[in-house]
Amino acid sequence: MHAMALDAVLMVLALSSYAVGALALVVYFFSREGWLRNFGATLAVTGCAAQFAQLGARYAETHIWPLLNLYGSLSLFSAMSVAIFIAFAFRYRLWFAGGFVLALAAIFLAYGVTWNEGVMPAVPSLQSYWAKIHVPLVVSSYAAFLVSFVFSILYLVKYYANRHYARRSTTFAAAAAGGGAALLTSFAVDTPAATLSPALRDTPALAAAAEHGDTVAEWFSTLPSLAQLDVLVYRAVAVGLPLLTLGVITGAAWAHEAWGAYWQWDPKETAALASWILYAAYMHLHTRHAWRGLRCSWWSVIGFASIIFCYLGVNIWISGLHSYKM
Amino acid sequence: MAPAQPSHHVTRALTRTLGNVTVGVALLALWGVLTLVGVVVEQGKDAATYFASYPAPIARAIMRLNFDDIYHSGWYLASVGLVLASMTVATFTKVIPRRLPPRRAVTIDAIPLHAHVTVPGNEASVRERVERFFSTRGWKIVRHDIEGTQWSFADRHNWARIGVLVNHTAILVIAAGTILYWARGFAGETAILTGQTAQIPQTHALIRLDRFAYTIAPVLTKGGMVYQPIDYVSHVTVVGRNGLPTPMVVRVNHPIDVDGTLVYQASYGFGMRVTVTHDGRPVPALSRHTLVEGDALSIPGTTRSVVYERFVPTVDRQTHMPSSDPRVTNPAVILSLQEDGTPLGAVLDPLRSPVDLGNGWRIVPQRAVLYSGFQYRYDPGVPLVAAGAVLLLIGLVISFYFLPARLHVRVDPAGKDASTVGLAATTVKGYDIFETQFQELVDELRKHVD
Repeated sequence: MHAMALDAVLMVLALSSYAVGALALVVYFFSREGWLRNFGATLAVTGCAAQFAQLGARYAETHIWPLLNLYGSLSLFSAMSVAIFIAFAFRYRLWFAGGFVLALAAIFLAYGVTWNEGVMPAVPSLQSYWAKIHVPLVVSSYAAFLVSFVFSILYLVKYYANRHYARRSTTFAAAAAGGGAALLTSFAVDTPAATLSPALRDTPALAAAAEHGDTVAEWFSTLPSLAQLDVLVYRAVAVGLPLLTLGVITGAAWAHEAWGAYWQWDPKETAALASWILYAAYMHLHTRHAWRGLRCSWWSVIGFASIIFCYLGVNIWISGLHSYKM
Repeated sequence: MAPAQPSHHVTRALTRTLGNVTVGVALLALWGVLTLVGVVVEQGKDAATYFASYPAPIARAIMRLNFDDIYHSGWYLASVGLVLASMTVATFTKVIPRRLPPRRAVTIDAIPLHAHVTVPGNEASVRERVERFFSTRGWKIVRHDIEGTQWSFADRHNWARIGVLVNHTAILVIAAGTILYWARGFAGETAILTGQTAQIPQTHALIRLDRFAYTIAPVLTKGGMVYQPIDYVSHVTVVGRNGLPTPMVVRVNHPIDVDGTLVYQASYGFGMRVTVTHDGRPVPALSRHTLVEGDALSIPGTTRSVVYERFVPTVDRQTHMPSSDPRVTNPAVILSLQEDGTPLGAVLDPLRSPVDLGNGWRIVPQRAVLYSGFQYRYDPGVPLVAAGAVLLLIGLVISFYFLPARLHVRVDPAGKDASTVGLAATTVKGYDIFETQFQELVDELRKHVD
């Protein structure tokens, strides 16, 4: 009872940390107040740590691997999304995007709580060491794709904002037609909104608008350039795709041991294959200069939609070997 | 010179098309969409199921396009074949030839990632210092004299240019493993009653089920107490090629190997011993068999048959309906009666209670006999598929995490005792991905050579 109370306390801590942290970082996204970033980052780390502690406490108490149901796997999905984002944020100073990642993590975690059916021993087919390998790998890959999805959305927002400004004013349109500017020197985005950074080099309409004192355009200058956002999307996919590959491979190995065949065209397997194909296509498209940026960002959004379908749609709505469908 | 044959033009056009990355991606997208169709459209059902689930035009389309068994359809196999063909052509026409691009002179300022650094010293000494700077940081330096100008080329992670080749090879190895199974492998399933022996038809290996045991545990859930099987084990004696009876244990996730064929614990169930009587007298010919679910007994002299549908471990004593409790506490069987194949009805019959089949015939389910459900599979392609999978992972890591980059360096005199180092960087993944590292490299170079 005591352990289960700890489980609940940690879950509440994680959820509330994500919720408040998301709010803080979204406000930071617009205001760029340093203390909001520090506050939000602390809450992100706290929530993530609380989640891993909660999963550990659950396992320690029940001796049942907590990732064998949707509640547990959604918990890990949220935790890994935040953990992967934290790694990116520290490496590339991207805390401005943290609000969106934390908000999504909170939503998925809250949804996961509705699937908590108590402690259920594993059915025979799930009693395998592969459960400790396959499930975390696959869920971690989904988490990486969530992070790439957030970066893709930011890319698209900035891209279409630039296009909006280009269409809005002949001055900005002329600037857009004029094309490129100075070389970007860094990913640093924690600059005061008033400073125009070279991050506007590939959004000339925004640059022109910012020079004319447009506040929104000035704020956009604090985001990385479109080129750098595209690289961030690529880097997040570079985490997700190998993890998904390893997840599919370990799933096949487990299926080989449990069901006699490494591939049975089960809906979950084929949905994962479809997602893998989409991201493999992304990898190829990104080698083409003309496809980088806008098209790849949209492809990443579609890819994440396929991940959500694979993860939740198949598990909940479609019968199969991985199904929770009643 | 003889003009090229038309077939040569066709071959070239086909090669160019299949080797095109955009075409390859389009084929991948097609493969992905067809794969998803199979997820959304339930596979392997009969036409009536699709017509019940979808509007008639869609159901008709599903049947006509073979979307009911899409993964074995011509569309799917063709899409996979085209992807493999495109990948193979691209490997030979693009990946292999471009794995090591030639070292050429470039216009430094025309390359987006470029810099100029002015350094004290004459041309030769500056070149040496710059080359030493890069070589101590893991870059491989090669000098070329191109049209009278000395160029230094610094390459890093050149070996990683094979990443794509490794990935493509991996896919082909996996495909080869799959084809090997189709050509030489086999699979099947069998249910063996306790005490009974079954044979794997392809290898003639014998498996006798000596004992089957299962464990059911109570679980307290939000909806109340439920019982679920948490373990089941088959104790078997196997006779393989060597002819020696060998006791073995099969449980879920722990298959046994019988001369290369893997035998898996797939399920379990309850067979049923029945007594059939006619006008009160037992009929030995119909009473000697143990039925498993789905088995039918034809009633002699009639067009009727009785089917043992399934075993019900526990009948709810209050509702008299089958409960979901898997423990055998109040067992019964469901028998259905058919006339000329037409179902007449079904009955939930407790053990040792007779069921009147008409015309003086009666059937009495006597006792349950556990059977163990096995699946067996011989797949000679598994080692190839496994090797391909590992290779694919290695290829992905190489492709994603090692960035082959080349620095084009030329040193020109810049007045008395000074030189200008012109640097331009190219990578296989464009410029943006290397931008920060290039800037850091240039900054470090400035500090170092000054």
